[in-house]
Amino acid sequence: MRARDQGGFWVGALIAAVVLWSLITTEVELSRLLSAGPRIADFLGRMFPPDPTIMEEIWKGSAETLRIAILGTVGAVILSIPLGILASDTMVSPTLHRPVRTLLAFIRAIPLLLVAMLMVGAVGLGPLPGIIAVAFHATGMLAKFYAEAIDGVGRAPIAALESAGAGPMLRLRHAIWPQMAPVVARDTIFRFELNLRESLILGIVGAGGIGFYIQTYVRSFQYDKAASVTIAVVMMVIAIEAINVAIRRRTS
Amino acid sequence: MMQNAIHIDDLSYHHDGAETPAISQVSLNVGAGERVALLGPSGAGKTTLLTLLDGRLRDWQGRVSVLGVPFQPSRALPLARRTDTGFIFQEFALVERSTVVRNVLNGRLGRMPGWRALLGTSSREDIEIARSALADCGIADLADRRVDSLSGGQRQRVAIARCLAQDPQLILADEPVSNLDPARAAEILTLLTRAAQARGATTVFSSHQPELARRFADRVIGMRNGRIVFDVPARDLTEDATSALYDDTDQTPGVRLKVVV
Repeated sequence: MRARDQGGFWVGALIAAVVLWSLITTEVELSRLLSAGPRIADFLGRMFPPDPTIMEEIWKGSAETLRIAILGTVGAVILSIPLGILASDTMVSPTLHRPVRTLLAFIRAIPLLLVAMLMVGAVGLGPLPGIIAVAFHATGMLAKFYAEAIDGVGRAPIAALESAGAGPMLRLRHAIWPQMAPVVARDTIFRFELNLRESLILGIVGAGGIGFYIQTYVRSFQYDKAASVTIAVVMMVIAIEAINVAIRRRTS
Repeated sequence: MMQNAIHIDDLSYHHDGAETPAISQVSLNVGAGERVALLGPSGAGKTTLLTLLDGRLRDWQGRVSVLGVPFQPSRALPLARRTDTGFIFQEFALVERSTVVRNVLNGRLGRMPGWRALLGTSSREDIEIARSALADCGIADLADRRVDSLSGGQRQRVAIARCLAQDPQLILADEPVSNLDPARAAEILTLLTRAAQARGATTVFSSHQPELARRFADRVIGMRNGRIVFDVPARDLTEDATSALYDDTDQTPGVRLKVVV
């Protein structure tokens, strides 16, 4: 009981120290903090009313975001099939799947925007770096999901095919795949939803899509137009969520 | 002299990390065309022995050859060599979300050319074989049903059809009817042993029910603690012999519990 109290004290002291360190080193000026309220109000005022004349740009940007998400997901699926097989315990030995799993964890650890910035540097502005970034980033998760789907199926039919003389690829095709197919479909749709959400802001780093217009309008102080794009993005996110809920309801 | 389908000489096998051997010093010959029942309580080593004869175990000691092919103790049997031995599992081991005919065609995979097997485009001959195996098992009308919509008895018929479609010379069946009710069990074993006989295949099935062993086999081998306790023609199987298999007095001398009424 006493040791517990002491532990609580030290955790509290540590949290206080971390918060204090952040406050001091960030040099938050109290005067700026006080004047922030009116400034934010002024900023929001300039966003209102949203400019409805840029519907064409919004459609164009949204369509490009959708294309980036679709092609990025397709790329991720193509990469995830071999990597998922190589990361599964069922299909390969631990000496192979352990390094592959570590590689996938590294890929997952790199934020999408960082990959997108690097890709813009590598292949230039436009949707192409966005597609590559989404495909790369999503593979880290999707290949892991595919590997887990392979390892999650019933073992008995695999043994039955092995007994009949079928090799590993045939077992994957005829015993594992029929069992894992619904899981793969569910995971892929889930990842597509994430890709669509995440690619909405890719344009901010010049990697294509509707985010490009947010960046352009904010930089040129056209806050009313930026507001329109923001509303469009929020509506898209809600639409994606609604579609996903509908799909889940139908497949469950 | 009758050729042996199975020849086992001084076979022992330890599961990884197990203290006692799963099989110890088993020697056994099974002639081609024989119907043999392995009888014994769970843990007797029946499943291990059948799995080993199917070529799926390694790191055992002794000499084993099946259908004239000598096994290597250090490694599992090469896949190409497994097609002549069919295996029937207690829990059916079917792909639940696939159709009945797909499952039966899975038994042909080892005999199809690689590309055809991978694509799953079965030849007309393969489909013909699958359909006739289904007919032999009395379930031709279920061919296009999904397995997850079938009853236990129907599932084991599908599993037997898959085994027959493999065109095996040796059929190994691990407790093929212990998941089924008694009426269904007799039906399935009748079906299995008749189909095997019609094809001239050797059959070895395991069971823990003496009456099924006596009724459906020519020869009954009693196993206990990884050893063969008796090996008799089915008609000579006595009550005493079977009760000795399941009696647990000699296993742990001195610790038999006294029941106080």
